[in-house]
Amino acid sequence: MIMATEERVLVKPPSEVAKQRPGEIEDASWLPVKVKVRNLNFHYGGHQALFDNSIDIPASRVTAIIGPSGCGKSTHIRVYNRIFEIYRSHKAKGTVEIDGENVLSPATDILKLRKKVGMIFQRPTPFPMSIFNNVAYGVKLHYRASRGEIADRVEDALKRGALWDEVKDKLGEPATALSGGQQQRLCIARAIAVEPELILMDEPCSAIDPVATSKIEDLIETLRDNYTVVLVTHNMQQAARVSDFTAFFYKGRIVEFGATKKIFTNPDSGQTEDYITGRFG
Amino acid sequence: MRPRSRTERRAADTAMRVAMVPAALIGIAVLAWILWEVIARGIGALTPAFFTELPTPPGMEGGGLGNAILGTLLMTFLAALLGTPIGLLAGVFLCEFGPSSRIATVVRFTTNLLMGTPSIIIGIFVYSVLVLPFGRFSGWAGAVALAILILPVVMRTTEDMLNLVPDELRESGLALGAPRWRVTLGIIFRAARTGLVTGVLLAVARVSGETAPLLFTALNSFYWPGSLSQPTANMTVTIFNYAMSPYSDWQAKAWGASLLITVSVLAVTVLARFVIRDKRKRA
Ligand SMILES: Nc1ncnc2c1ncn2[C@@H]1O[C@H](COP(=O)(O)OP(=O)(O)OP(=O)(O)O)[C@@H](O)[C@H]1O
Ligand SMILES: [Mg+2]
Repeated sequence: MIMATEERVLVKPPSEVAKQRPGEIEDASWLPVKVKVRNLNFHYGGHQALFDNSIDIPASRVTAIIGPSGCGKSTHIRVYNRIFEIYRSHKAKGTVEIDGENVLSPATDILKLRKKVGMIFQRPTPFPMSIFNNVAYGVKLHYRASRGEIADRVEDALKRGALWDEVKDKLGEPATALSGGQQQRLCIARAIAVEPELILMDEPCSAIDPVATSKIEDLIETLRDNYTVVLVTHNMQQAARVSDFTAFFYKGRIVEFGATKKIFTNPDSGQTEDYITGRFG
Repeated sequence: MRPRSRTERRAADTAMRVAMVPAALIGIAVLAWILWEVIARGIGALTPAFFTELPTPPGMEGGGLGNAILGTLLMTFLAALLGTPIGLLAGVFLCEFGPSSRIATVVRFTTNLLMGTPSIIIGIFVYSVLVLPFGRFSGWAGAVALAILILPVVMRTTEDMLNLVPDELRESGLALGAPRWRVTLGIIFRAARTGLVTGVLLAVARVSGETAPLLFTALNSFYWPGSLSQPTANMTVTIFNYAMSPYSDWQAKAWGASLLITVSVLAVTVLARFVIRDKRKRA
């Protein structure tokens, strides 16, 4: 039985919460919590995939989720935006509070929740429409805006997605004509365009080449300033490079969670150490 | 263990070829023969009058099948108009909303039955519900019979085509906060649109050659289809009547109508292929 960890309090005023580089943070206790998960259990029909997950995801930081294949990383983050619900047999129990509101409560406005929580998938998922319309899709969905306002928002999102320079002359072309790495950045821009607060990324670089990967890593680094990012990755170096905090999952349980620096240099658990040093996984 | 020799592999390859190539050739030959026969005998009948004039009384030379061509076009169009939206919606339901529900299972099973039902039975069914009670054959009944034939085909292709759309695409639409119906109409339909269009085209091509369902519903007529509440002229029943008649002029016209239908169906099918090819190129 995992006890709920004590409530975290913001002891330093936000002005002093200066941004550190990834890897420099050693303590999460003075950071506000964006997602507070308690005793989350998950079932795929008769198969239990998550066991008593409890974790506090710090706001405005990048949290990496690592662990061997099938340990429940995807399952875990798919609860945050309740995307799992479209499959009838998938069931989550427990609480997942985002900004203090339990998203699993039936009263949650699911469309609002998904506006607030963006998601990027393993394979890029451009919609079958133009580059511009891909990014405008969510904007039109959530805002009443004039053409000009939409165009501004699209431009802004593409700039934040580090894609603007590459596509500004071909916004009307089909998004499927972009390269895989560009498509993935487009998906990030598309998510950013609806002004989410939390961005979930499920192995966003696993289907693209190293150069495109490093561009996305740079992008994630810039996202740190405005968004809370949860990044599932199989790539240890990537976790070490871009994340502030790391959670190690094993067989549906959260074995260890802490500052990335600590997890990668001096983990508490032997299992974490074995996984990071490549002894299993 | 020793590696397979090259001659061994070659022999197996040759044996397969010897078996398959003739089979493929027989298929092509039969099709070519039919086409040749239809073209050779039908081409002479296709005069301008064939397309624009009414039929002449038996034994009299001249005239045309303008009324039958128009009637077939009208009824096929109406049938597509009737059958396509229902088929699309049902396909969407099967794939997107209740894929594993009890209703879906029943609907899927019924669709398979409907697809396998001989079209003459559909004709008799519509005869008993739309012809007998009103006391007359009508173009409407004909269109309904064809729509019933279109329905399961469109339904199946819709479900199949939507199933081909990866779940991630659905999920990313929903993850942006779009309601399900908007994801279906705005993203999934768009992703599957060429497949959907192909399905409809093939369904229409299929029914445009049907005779039995029209024989019991629209019957036929020597006049222009002024109102679809009357028996309505159409090409397939005309072919049936004319080909059985003793008049050589009518027989020639039956060949002409056969050629016209064959070419139209071929054209629609090629169009459908073209749509698919276009899709592949862009993907
Ligand atoms: N749709 C599903 N139906 C049934 N079981 C599933 C389903 N998806 C995942 N599982 C099971 O749940 C467990 C966790 O899967 P999950 O996809 O969350 O793992 P993961 O850590 O994301 O793995 P990977 O690194 O390979 O993506 C696995 O045992 C998996 O087999
Ligand atoms: Mg996964």
